[in-house]
Amino acid sequence: MKKSLSPYLYFVPALVLAYLFSYRPFFKTVANSLSLVNFSGKIIEFVGLENFQSLFADRNFQTSLVNTFRFALFFIPIDLVFCLVCALLVYRKRRFNALNETLFIMPMAVAMSSAALVFKAIFNPTIGVVNHLFGISVQWFNDPAWAMFTIVFLGVWMAMGLDFLLLVGALRSVPRHIVEAAEIEGAGTIAKFFRIQLPLISPTILFIVSTRLRDSMLLSGPVMVMTSGGPYRSTQTLVYQMYIEGFTAGNYSKGSAISVVVFVLTFLLILLAFRFERKGVFYQ
Amino acid sequence: MNIHTHMKRTFSYTILLVAIGFLLAGPLFGAGSRDTTTSTGDGGPVTVEFWHSNSGLLGEAMTELVARFNATVGTEKAIVVQEIYQGKAADVATKLRAGLQANRAQDLPDLAQLDATGVMDVRDSSMMVPVQTLVESDPDFNLDELQPGTVLSMTYKGKLIGMPFNASTILLYYNKDAFKEAGLDPEKPPRTLAELADYAGKLVIYDSDGKTVVRYGFAGVPTTYELVSWIGQQHGVSYLTDKSNGHDGNPTKVVFDSEGTLATFLDEWRKVYASGGLGNLTSDVRQQFIAGKTAMFATSTSSLATVIDSVAGRFELGAGYFPMVNSESTGGVNIGGGAIFVFENKNDPGKRASWEFLKYLMSAESQLFWHQKTGYFPVNLGTYGLPGFKDHIARNPLFKVAIDQLNDSSPQIQSVWWPNSYQAYFEIQNGILEMLEKGLGTEETVQKLSSVLNRYMDEYNRMNKE
Amino acid sequence: MNPFMKRTDIAKATGATVLGLVVVFPIYYAFSASFFTIGEFSTYPPTLFPSTFSLVNYIRALTESMLARFMVNSLAVSLVGSLLRMIVAILAAFAVAFLKFKGKQVLFFLVLGTMMLPGDALIIENYLTISRLGLVDSYLGIMSVYLLAPVQMFMLRQSFKTIPLTYRESAAIDGCSDFRFLTSIVLPMSRPIVLTLSLHSFVTIWNTYLWPLLVTNNPEMRTVQVGITMLGYADSLDYGPIFAAISLLLMPSIIIFLLMRKKIVEGIASGAIVG
Repeated sequence: MKKSLSPYLYFVPALVLAYLFSYRPFFKTVANSLSLVNFSGKIIEFVGLENFQSLFADRNFQTSLVNTFRFALFFIPIDLVFCLVCALLVYRKRRFNALNETLFIMPMAVAMSSAALVFKAIFNPTIGVVNHLFGISVQWFNDPAWAMFTIVFLGVWMAMGLDFLLLVGALRSVPRHIVEAAEIEGAGTIAKFFRIQLPLISPTILFIVSTRLRDSMLLSGPVMVMTSGGPYRSTQTLVYQMYIEGFTAGNYSKGSAISVVVFVLTFLLILLAFRFERKGVFYQ
Repeated sequence: MNIHTHMKRTFSYTILLVAIGFLLAGPLFGAGSRDTTTSTGDGGPVTVEFWHSNSGLLGEAMTELVARFNATVGTEKAIVVQEIYQGKAADVATKLRAGLQANRAQDLPDLAQLDATGVMDVRDSSMMVPVQTLVESDPDFNLDELQPGTVLSMTYKGKLIGMPFNASTILLYYNKDAFKEAGLDPEKPPRTLAELADYAGKLVIYDSDGKTVVRYGFAGVPTTYELVSWIGQQHGVSYLTDKSNGHDGNPTKVVFDSEGTLATFLDEWRKVYASGGLGNLTSDVRQQFIAGKTAMFATSTSSLATVIDSVAGRFELGAGYFPMVNSESTGGVNIGGGAIFVFENKNDPGKRASWEFLKYLMSAESQLFWHQKTGYFPVNLGTYGLPGFKDHIARNPLFKVAIDQLNDSSPQIQSVWWPNSYQAYFEIQNGILEMLEKGLGTEETVQKLSSVLNRYMDEYNRMNKE
Repeated sequence: MNPFMKRTDIAKATGATVLGLVVVFPIYYAFSASFFTIGEFSTYPPTLFPSTFSLVNYIRALTESMLARFMVNSLAVSLVGSLLRMIVAILAAFAVAFLKFKGKQVLFFLVLGTMMLPGDALIIENYLTISRLGLVDSYLGIMSVYLLAPVQMFMLRQSFKTIPLTYRESAAIDGCSDFRFLTSIVLPMSRPIVLTLSLHSFVTIWNTYLWPLLVTNNPEMRTVQVGITMLGYADSLDYGPIFAAISLLLMPSIIIFLLMRKKIVEGIASGAIVG
């Protein structure tokens, strides 16, 4: 019966793609992480959790793990605070706010690699403008204490277009009458913000936090273009180490083990994000 | 259907057609431009694909060499060389490994330029054609024409595997003006690490607050590259690992601990740090030197032309021998740089065209040109006799320093071929940095480094039985 | 809109503009630096304004490197890629929204489940797959991992479900097959969301970096995002052409961005585009 076959045909492309590029590689990666894999990618023997044991004992991996979380620790608050400040300044419908809003979302027009190259130049300790304009002499790319911040700043810059808009949307959807009622009762700006606006936009904030947390676990592009994990591995993240182990060193077991760790982390965070998406994005 | 829907529909159809156009016309399935020129004497030129890692001034020189070949020997023998810049040497190795692993000969180039870190990726592959084979099948080419140290540097288990095209050594670059200011003789660069410590202490300049360094005496943190010389030169010749740094087989353990060579070096290096003039910089050191933020630094001779070009009269540039660890470290320096490897990729049967290009690159004239434009030293002994060479050296004495240093070095010193070279590089760098900044002991540091490097070799040998 | 600007409003607007200019500064710098000469890059203190407006760097970027080819590659991959992506998503979403068949929900969740597996973590295996299929250095190889878009599939299904079943029924009565129903009725009715998602797909694929980097060896096949990081000028402080290339990329991006600004903002507010 022709008719009963065709519905499945509509699904075939999606299923084939899902198998080829998501499920199959996933299972192979898990299998690799539990075995010894040689230089050419063939599994030699099954060794259970041994790769994970040596991975967690390896200082290099611990550094990646710490760095990835260190990034999230700086990136998310800076992103939130900066975008909130910008959003609070322009969410009301006033003259010039449309212009300012456009300025704030311009980073969305720029791709990551272009942005990374520009940031690399402006933070350059010798010829870059940041040190000059602020009168400081930080060795951005040579000092392990500061290199991570170049990545954080790039991250905030790339993320702010979207996060800013989400926050503006959230602020705008706080019902006017509640705010006005508070104003009538004499509430100042600070009280207004912390008692009324903040609680009401908290779903959006939580959504941003959980999504960006997940993105932090996967951070690799800016590291590749700007710092190559240095100096002294202070910007080496999980996915970057995974790339080095897997591609440059040919250490498939180790690379796959790191992938599995990344999976577990992002899985937990995706669940978190899902819970807040429903509440955060759909307004009346 | 009104005019708007009609226009929208035409618009979407146009997009559709353009998209389909790309789909059909573009290289949807196959690799880019290496068309099927697998000629078997059918009259069409043979294309030789050459992957390299030369950019900037070096890239220009390479492009010129390729163009010259194509216009002369290439036209004569119907060969066209296509050069492809693949990024840094590590990137070339990564791309190669991908093709080797997937066992896809057709994705490999005919020739690829690699440095020591990439050798292990290709050394044992059946798709790599050892240069020795090509040398032996060509009676006109004699290995004796080449500098013996360079040939030895690319020999594995007695066979020459890659053609040492771009040979370099490490060199000390310094700012003569800064020397004069600090009361040092600009014609006498430091010869030992003890002198380096002394000079660095005198050359460092602080800010008005007395704490921030405005100019370092010497900048850089040693890694595998520097250690190969600093350990290699001790007691005449030494090695980092067994099996002659991996040239006689897969290395299984480090020997710099049991032989005490690393400890000797670390003690001397600590004195340099103690002078207060050492800058632990790892990125953009060359730029910092050019901008005057450090008075000395050490890097490959292959950067000489670039440094001369960038300094351009800002200050007077000096070049000196790489400082010895101590008076007993007489071995000199290691021959580094890179070599060109040949691959069996179902193109160019017998690799005859590729071999023609290789011979051209190794000719006395080509090596002279390459030397002048870059700073790599000529590998063909014939170059040293050419009038153009003598002329060039007379006008650019700095180039002579590298050559003299090479001639004063033992050819037995080898680069190290060990697995995980990328990680090893950083382990060493981090280990030394920690020792300096946290004041750790020498024994402790040696222990730390040997245990992690031994682990890399163990893991590798376990997974890849020889 | 309140025509009278209170003092706090003026303060806020000024503060916002200052911040806004800081944010936009890197973009300004890219354009400005595209006119610098080598000398201007190595002066200390660094300059902010170019001394000439000669197009030397632009000419060099276009003639000395394969920038134009990179752009063509990106265009081809993004155009065809987003087209294929939409086709895959539309077909699946249509089947889930309108057709009845066993295991529909299961299959749909299987596809959506891929959202749990971030592509970046699978990159090594995917590369091995592509290379064994011989698709390295090909447009298809670059597009391959982007053809499945579970989020867009979900959005499309939601949108399709708003089409009343009566349409389907009356079409069936007229003897219309499933496929024709899709092309003649569902798609025209869903034009806005299909266009929005197509545009979003295009931009997403255009901006990707890591995967195209791995999957292309031959510079002739590189996409523009990868290509500009490999122009090979960085060694000698010769940054001019790099910034010229960046500026060439930025110009169309920014123009399109400014034109579509309203649509983008609406799209985000309505949740159609998340991230």
